[in-house]
Amino acid sequence: MEFDFAYLTAQWPALMRGLWLTVQVSALSIVLSILVGVLGAAVRVLQVPVLDKLVVGYVEFIRNTPLLAQLFFIFYGLPGLGLRLSLFWSGVLCLTLWAGAYQIENVRGGLETVGKGLREAAFSLGLSPWRFFRLVAAPMAIRVGLPSMLNTSISLLKNSSYLQAIGLAELTYVAIDRISMDFRTIEMFAAICVIYLLLVLTLSFLASRLEYRLNAPFRL
Amino acid sequence: MSAAPLISLRGIAKRFGTHQALHGIDLDVEAGSVVVLIGPSGSGKSTLIRCINGLVRPDEGMLHVAGSPVDIHHERAWQRMRTEVGMVFQDYALFPHLTVLRNMTITPERRRGIPRAKAEEEARALLTRVGLAHKALDYPSALSGGQQQRVAIVRALAMRPKAILFDEPTSALDPETIGSVLDVMKDLAREGTTMVVVTHEMGFAREVADRVVFMAEGRIVEEGPPDALFGAPRHERTRAFLSSIRSFGEAVHG
Repeated sequence: MEFDFAYLTAQWPALMRGLWLTVQVSALSIVLSILVGVLGAAVRVLQVPVLDKLVVGYVEFIRNTPLLAQLFFIFYGLPGLGLRLSLFWSGVLCLTLWAGAYQIENVRGGLETVGKGLREAAFSLGLSPWRFFRLVAAPMAIRVGLPSMLNTSISLLKNSSYLQAIGLAELTYVAIDRISMDFRTIEMFAAICVIYLLLVLTLSFLASRLEYRLNAPFRL
Repeated sequence: MSAAPLISLRGIAKRFGTHQALHGIDLDVEAGSVVVLIGPSGSGKSTLIRCINGLVRPDEGMLHVAGSPVDIHHERAWQRMRTEVGMVFQDYALFPHLTVLRNMTITPERRRGIPRAKAEEEARALLTRVGLAHKALDYPSALSGGQQQRVAIVRALAMRPKAILFDEPTSALDPETIGSVLDVMKDLAREGTTMVVVTHEMGFAREVADRVVFMAEGRIVEEGPPDALFGAPRHERTRAFLSSIRSFGEAVHG
């Protein structure tokens, strides 16, 4: 059996529809997970009573359970608790919660580099702890944490392929669906691997542009 | 009759664990005067100056700024009073991700509600005064220590404070650049800026201070005009401290 490019050309529109869904669900989840990361890290660092303990529990829960189990819990478990989400939003929720836990740790790592001196300087100018966090600590922490935040975002993008398990028609779902009908295994998996690779490279490129811009103050 | 002091401390005490860092300090700072705090390390100077703006929160005591009491147990009260009392630190503590100009405008804008254009105009005028107008759009990493400290001083001034606290402002600087920072501080003193300064620069204290306060072991041992305190110290502890720094100075310069 030889590699059939004509077959891939015929399936291209379906793959592109899957790709578009992968991009939407991943991009939305990356943005939301970074938001979760910044807010969660703020709660930890500003030691907000009660909430900071909840954040610790959340991070531990996510890091110590399998992503697939979390996905099934959200898709099959939450409706039992009265929360019914669409396939798409179940996927976004799952990826956001998963990556958010790691992003909290990434931002927190960056915050470690913001010294006590800057905190005192900000306070001495009359800034509140929250304004200090928003105007000084968070921008500095994001710059330092950017490489690890990119890692988490790349993992999120790749892990979006798990969403085929609940039937969301993203890229991997399309491939497996077609394979079950046409048995063109090599063509399909080769195609989606190349597409995922290009997606990740694009994401890395965008992140390196951002890193370059954020580092401007520190270049001489 | 004399007006009430601009800053007034009564019975300010602070304990860290089992260590009593400050024992009921009373201190008055008159408007327009320069008060210099000196003393050996561990004497509580830095803790005391931080108790004035609540970076270290006193356990007990009373604090009045411009006649109004500060509720020392409430963070909000401290945040309000800190817009009235600026501070300059040993390590400059400029925000490294912001330009010099933005370092100076961000709090007047966010905290005082001064429009951006107005805040920038004032900031540029202040930078011109300290000879750094050409650095307005540079980031702090492009400035020398002395330049950064001058920016830190005008950043505090940009909030139009009633008084400025200086915590060892020249201790981290190269000997050549100390002069440029002290010159700015002398200028401010001449203009009648109210200042509280922790420093080891005895020359500065002698020349600029209206009152020198000597501290040891969390207490004020003695205070007075610089001539009296340096020329004729009354307490043995003060004499010992002054002679130790003098012999150190001779060892360095002599």
